[in-house]
Amino acid sequence: MTATDAVTRRVFASYLFIGLLLAATGFIWSVSLGVTDLRWNDVLQGLLGGKETKEQLVISTIRVPRALVAALAGAALAVAGALMQAMTRNAFASPQIFGINAGASFFVVLFIVFFPGISSSALVFAAFAGAFMGGLLVFILGYSNDHRTPVQLALAGIAVSMLLSAMTEGFIVLYDNQTKNVLFWLAGAVHNGTWKDVHTVIPWSLTGMMIALLLSRSLTILSLGDDIARGLGQNILFIRLAVSCTVIMLAGSAVSIVGPIGFVGLIVPHIVRHWVGVDYRFILPLTAVFGSVLLLYADIVSRFISYPFESPVGIVTTGIGAPYLLYLLLRRRGRL
Amino acid sequence: MKKLVLHSTLVLWVCILALAGCSTAESTREATASDQAEARIIKHEFGESTIQGIPKRIVALEYSFVDSLATLGVTPVGIADDNKPDSIIAPIKEKLGEYTSVGSRYEVNFELISSLQPDLIIGDVSRHKEVYAQLNGIAPTLLLKSHGATYQENLSSFPVIAEAVGKKDEAEPLLQAHQANLDKLKASIPQDEQRTVLPAVVNAKGFFAHTSKSYAGSLLESLGLKDAIHSDEAYPQLTLEQLVEYNPDVLFLMKTPGEQTIIDEWSKNPLWGTISAVKNNNVYEVDRGVWSLSRGIISAETIVKEAIGQLYP
Repeated sequence: MTATDAVTRRVFASYLFIGLLLAATGFIWSVSLGVTDLRWNDVLQGLLGGKETKEQLVISTIRVPRALVAALAGAALAVAGALMQAMTRNAFASPQIFGINAGASFFVVLFIVFFPGISSSALVFAAFAGAFMGGLLVFILGYSNDHRTPVQLALAGIAVSMLLSAMTEGFIVLYDNQTKNVLFWLAGAVHNGTWKDVHTVIPWSLTGMMIALLLSRSLTILSLGDDIARGLGQNILFIRLAVSCTVIMLAGSAVSIVGPIGFVGLIVPHIVRHWVGVDYRFILPLTAVFGSVLLLYADIVSRFISYPFESPVGIVTTGIGAPYLLYLLLRRRGRL
Repeated sequence: MKKLVLHSTLVLWVCILALAGCSTAESTREATASDQAEARIIKHEFGESTIQGIPKRIVALEYSFVDSLATLGVTPVGIADDNKPDSIIAPIKEKLGEYTSVGSRYEVNFELISSLQPDLIIGDVSRHKEVYAQLNGIAPTLLLKSHGATYQENLSSFPVIAEAVGKKDEAEPLLQAHQANLDKLKASIPQDEQRTVLPAVVNAKGFFAHTSKSYAGSLLESLGLKDAIHSDEAYPQLTLEQLVEYNPDVLFLMKTPGEQTIIDEWSKNPLWGTISAVKNNNVYEVDRGVWSLSRGIISAETIVKEAIGQLYP
């Protein structure tokens, strides 16, 4: 083990500790905040699964699943973003910018229109199909050009996202009665998260994150370039395929529950790489933890936008994320 | 650069031609109409319109105007019914004759509307103000409050519509008859009624409360009932926690028949049972078309009849 490696490990450990602490605080804060007046005792009982009083029920059946949905979706979207950035070596890669969120939402709305009684566990598969289609379109468009640059791929992604969003909105206009109130979900919302949603999303996001961790060493090598990776004996095609499936699993399952929440997958991996460098064994766990942190706190902020009513959490992440994207673009230009 | 100049010249030409087309069309219409009857100036939410004679071919771009016209015994020649004839509720439909669907309320189909050669168009001020000029180019257009309007605002549009279709004198007696009908229904509400009511649209993605600012909410309040939510927002989305906190004593759930809704999910939660309306068996499913889409004198009486029938059987 080299000296720099030891330093990175120490940095990693301290950020992981801070991240877990922030996530735990955010979780408890999220759970104790809402329209019902609660005493700390209720919060504690509710967290332990108490179902005796109304207050405990509010905690254990509404606020805990809501916070869990936020934490899981945040982690899933952030890790999906990190995987995409490693695989494409593109700083702008994220499920939102590369058409994956828009594809998943398009299919979810499509299925809601044509199969009104569809269950949420079936909608996950619709989201997978949509995520696959959105991502594929972007890569076909972005890679058909020999002189591709990261910005070109991002532009292809934004164009595909806009096309898919336009089609989604078209469906919403045409099938107003079935879809009118999907609009709120389309802006990204976690507030109706239930235990059922948690159960729907948990197998996918945990599996996805496990696979991501298993692939982390290969990802680090892949992010150095195809030639180096090939030289080091990596099966590039296999890794790309596995990473793509994992991205679809993570982003698709999250979007089917919380809607296309933007920018989580873009910001978090960037910040984390800034802390711990290029090793994905360190980047991925931190990305997961800080993805949860970001969405948990964004969800808390969103409750105050039009209190006592709820606002979509996507407003908050976009409010933070869009300026960050601009900052990234400007910084790149400065380097050129 | 050359291309740009060419393009802008083209655009300019199209504009000039369009304007010329409008002005000639208007002047010929004025010339022929002034022979028939005097011009009436009708004030509406987006300005004033001059109407010549009695309009015979009216296009209604919202359900609430269809309700008003049906009350006045007028069948519009065209209705924006979102291509769903069933979205016009039965008590209104039976008063209507033949009409042509002009498509969506959101995406106005100008070609279809002008092919009907209307002499009056009634649109919604919130939805159609951006296209007012185009509509006015087809026929004199009134924009009135419809989407998001309260019961009182809705009623205040009625005399305007009556005057526009040349039935000014009928408006007052009809409104009085409506009030009398409501008063009769209202009599069954006990003086000491304390229960709060909450109408709400429910569907797969959420629960949308209709507050005192909504059509159904303000209508029920005008009868002396209390809406469980007083707010400036007409249709806020609620979480189960908020619903439990507002704790309405009566729930009117507006749903599209056969659709899965969030209530299927919520009713499995023990908190659902703590809501007063659920505890006391006062949850009623009602038709969303009647309670939320129609918004007019006929649908108001239908809503009140239904509400009172459920509350005081």
